[in-house]
Amino acid sequence: MMESVLLNTSVLRPKAHKAKKSIVADLLLTALIDAFSILVIFLLMNFSSTGEILFIGKGTELPKAHAVEPLERTLLVKVETEKIYVEDKEVALGQLVQRLVDARKNGQQETITLQADRRLKYDFISQIVQAANHAGISQIKFAVMAK
Amino acid sequence: LKKHKHLDFELNLIPFIDLLSVCICFLLLTAVWLNVGSMDVKQAIGGQAQAETKKQPTLWVHIVGSGQLNLELQDSSNVPAQYQKMSVKSTEFKTAVAQLKKLQPNLSLALIRPQAATIYEDIIDLMDNLKSIGLKDLGVVPL
Repeated sequence: MMESVLLNTSVLRPKAHKAKKSIVADLLLTALIDAFSILVIFLLMNFSSTGEILFIGKGTELPKAHAVEPLERTLLVKVETEKIYVEDKEVALGQLVQRLVDARKNGQQETITLQADRRLKYDFISQIVQAANHAGISQIKFAVMAK
Repeated sequence: LKKHKHLDFELNLIPFIDLLSVCICFLLLTAVWLNVGSMDVKQAIGGQAQAETKKQPTLWVHIVGSGQLNLELQDSSNVPAQYQKMSVKSTEFKTAVAQLKKLQPNLSLALIRPQAATIYEDIIDLMDNLKSIGLKDLGVVPL
């Protein structure tokens, strides 16, 4: 329906020029709360209470696997750019057995978690496996990414 | 005169939004996006005499190279002799082991013998296949 152009003039509607537009905008908050609730539920379901056990370096890519077991906190042996780290302290290959024996004596579990790049050759991995065997560590957990 | 109470009321939604926003920020900041797990391996460290060790069916997987694998089944009573030693391609590996597992249901131990040049990822793939078939006790032979 067409509105008369004279309708808002002060002659026909004297109070029209005084009517102010309301500044308060009515937002539809229920939809916003719905979306927020869904986000919170999704994030809570994916929340890991164990936290991040491994710190994966920039150049390291872990191998992927389906049949993975949950990661536990054990003695961490990390291989990065052909250097070996035990609990973030660099260790020479020759001293690895002694370092692992010391860790066992200090009451840490007889298990190690091995974190290495997927492209590494077994030649290098084998030396760590051998060192673990010499130190009396029978269980090795290879850190992998779940597919 | 009875005065009717107005039944409509409005909830103040702003605190809800504040709370949910804080929750979302906290959860987004603390979320662990990478799903890291582990592939467990039990190594024999030679503390027991061979005669005392209980014999159980054992599958040896020799990684020959260029996608070829040699399978050797030891201490098995159910599997015919011609199937106890075979050479398979890595693509046929899962089917071959699944057949051996069918013939020898108590087969749960597998030992992997890689070569020096074998890529770590290929060993993990083999372990993954073996675990998915039901061979839970795995070991890797050092060089």
